[in-house]
Amino acid sequence: MPDGVLIMSSEIASLPLQRKVALTLLLIFAAFSILSYAILTTIIAPTFENLDLSTAKTNLVRAERAIQTDIENLMAVTADWAPWDDIHDYTSGTHPGFVKSNLNRPTLANLGLDILVVYAADDKLLWSQMLIDGNERGIGELGIFGVDDRAAPLLTSHSQPDDLSVGILRTDLGSILISSMPILRSDGSGPIAGAVIMGQFMNESRLARLNERTEVNFEWHPITDSPTEHGMDFLPVDPSEIHLEASDASVTSFKILTDILGEPLLILNAQTPRTISALGARTVNAAMLFLVITGVFITAVIWYLLRGAILKPIEKLALHMKKIRQSGDLSHRLKIDSNDEIGALATEFGNLTSEVHEARKALLLQSFKAGKADTAAEVLHNIRNAMTPMINGLDRLSKSFRVTKDLRVDEATDQISDPDCPPERASKFIQYIKASFNRVKNVNERAIEEMQVVTSQALQVEAILSDQEKFTNAPPVEENIVVDEVVGEAAYVIPKEAQDQLAFELDHGLTRYRVRAHRIGLLQVLGNLILNAYESIQRQNSAQGRISLSASDIIVDDKPMVRLTVRDNGSGFDDGMGQRIFQRGFTSKPQGETTGLGLHWCANAVAGMGGRISAESQGAGKGAEFHVLLPAAQGG
Amino acid sequence: MMNNHEHDNIRVLIADDDEHILEAYREAFAEPDSTRETEALDALAAELFEPQSENQDEEEDPRFDVVSCSQGNDAIFLAKQAAAGGEPFDVVILDVRMPPGIDGVEAGSEIRAFDPDVEIVFVTGYSDVPLEELQRRVPPPMKLHYFNKPLSLFRLAQDVASMVRAH
Repeated sequence: MPDGVLIMSSEIASLPLQRKVALTLLLIFAAFSILSYAILTTIIAPTFENLDLSTAKTNLVRAERAIQTDIENLMAVTADWAPWDDIHDYTSGTHPGFVKSNLNRPTLANLGLDILVVYAADDKLLWSQMLIDGNERGIGELGIFGVDDRAAPLLTSHSQPDDLSVGILRTDLGSILISSMPILRSDGSGPIAGAVIMGQFMNESRLARLNERTEVNFEWHPITDSPTEHGMDFLPVDPSEIHLEASDASVTSFKILTDILGEPLLILNAQTPRTISALGARTVNAAMLFLVITGVFITAVIWYLLRGAILKPIEKLALHMKKIRQSGDLSHRLKIDSNDEIGALATEFGNLTSEVHEARKALLLQSFKAGKADTAAEVLHNIRNAMTPMINGLDRLSKSFRVTKDLRVDEATDQISDPDCPPERASKFIQYIKASFNRVKNVNERAIEEMQVVTSQALQVEAILSDQEKFTNAPPVEENIVVDEVVGEAAYVIPKEAQDQLAFELDHGLTRYRVRAHRIGLLQVLGNLILNAYESIQRQNSAQGRISLSASDIIVDDKPMVRLTVRDNGSGFDDGMGQRIFQRGFTSKPQGETTGLGLHWCANAVAGMGGRISAESQGAGKGAEFHVLLPAAQGG
Repeated sequence: MMNNHEHDNIRVLIADDDEHILEAYREAFAEPDSTRETEALDALAAELFEPQSENQDEEEDPRFDVVSCSQGNDAIFLAKQAAAGGEPFDVVILDVRMPPGIDGVEAGSEIRAFDPDVEIVFVTGYSDVPLEELQRRVPPPMKLHYFNKPLSLFRLAQDVASMVRAH
């Protein structure tokens, strides 16, 4: 998959549910609109256009039929005259009065003819008359009856009784409808006595009449070398074929009309206005508008229903879950007023959080108990450790006193009292008694020292028990604590009488820092460190002791922490002791002044709160810094 | 760390995170007091009095070379170093709990891996590791010893001497 598509997919995946659904609905609406438009424009609209084209074809056919009807009418008149004994007799030379009674100007007017010509059987012109705009003109002007004219034989001579020539023909005076039939007896018998020819001009008035009659706007034009002269951009070849040319306003239909020789003569074209297409376009637009409005309405209704019934409750549920995760407050409840699956989901989630809440409370209690058990184990360990030197001391005492039991002072005294004891030997016994006394004295002194050690260890056991008592009373629950509050309380560990000789400096910014910790535990840790600093200053005999407390933000392992620093100008410690200083039993204080458990306990307590403790000093006599790192408070 | 090395003495490595306990160990495993005054007194007693029969069978006090440390990893390092130097420890005494580093059981298990002969003694103030687990993790049982605090380290020194003499 291309990178761009992947990025887009991941962007869509990260959108909120409401936007995804809105986007989906918009896409569906857009697809629906495009599909509707495509159907309307590619299927419905062409149907209307086809109707227009079909009408254009029909109109052209009607125009052609109208011309054909005129030709057939002309043929009917010709057919009425050609088989007639009077005209047969006239052309045969036996009825000279025929001309006067029948071949005259009124006859042409009555028959609606422009041309009437009678030929004898020997192709001799017997009579002719042509009227143009009421004026008589010679038929020679037509240019169709000459010897060289191709149509002349078809018109003037007929070899068979049923031989006839009917159609249209080009003349020098314009196109005409023409009909020529052989002259026969009234009963249709021969011989053929000549030909009668009738014609009508295809002039403007005829065209107007035909337009009116057919109600089709059409016209004809002679075929020229330049077809585009009459709006055509092609020259149709097949006379039976109808060609169509559509513009925005109308459809033009074309057809070729052939003459009596079967040669192309006229182009017949009809103009059909595109009323159906215009109606179709209006229909398509109306349908499209209707579909868009319907689509918008349906989309809006779906969006409203989805949002109210699904999206909003889901968003509410998601926000609720996020709030619980951020605050950790499992007691918070969500109310969704519906009995559908989402309502059931919210209820089940509520039940689940209740169970987790109860389980967490139980776990906290258990953890607290376990912590107490662990503390108890630690205390037992410490007490037993402290008792071991006591037992050692008592062992040494017992051993020392056992030595005095072996002294034989009584025997020596008896020997000295004996008068027979030589003076040199008596002197040695006196030496022995003195040495024995010194030994007893030494044992006694050692015993006093051992007793002090035992007493010191007993005091250590007592201190461990006191520490345990403090620890037992500490609440197990962590809370968000403003550092400034705890520091103020912790400072009370400094004796009142010492406060005048000691500068206790608190950083003004302490109120800004909030940590997540056990309040009592933190209080005791800070108290311990401040007391430690105070004692260190006392040991240093510094004229002006100074303890300062500051805080700063720090990121440890990507977690926000707060670093509390207790700084003093006391006795400090040698380089390299920073790591050992928190080990159990370690102390830099003079013997008998401490239990050695304070900093060890602090390290454990801080670790228990998810923090760390460290110490540094520039060396003995140069003061010290203790750093306590605790998790920064999150949320409210 | 402290090293009182002499040849033919019992070589003991002690690991305990409590400095007081380490001091008590060093005292208990140190040589007995012997000053000029006590030697003079004993010489006079020998010259002036008949010897007392019940003291004649008294066993000579054992002598130890003691090396001590406060963390399990240090104990492993020291034991490894001693073994590599051709003078492995006869006995390793380990506290079970030694924060912040590894515990004594893990240290003992690692030491056992490269020194199958050393006697390993666990001393703890709290029996949070069952003996069965100790035997499983630090075999063999014959070379594994377990003491609960509080105890007399003088007596432990005697016991250590006994377990070395027994082999």
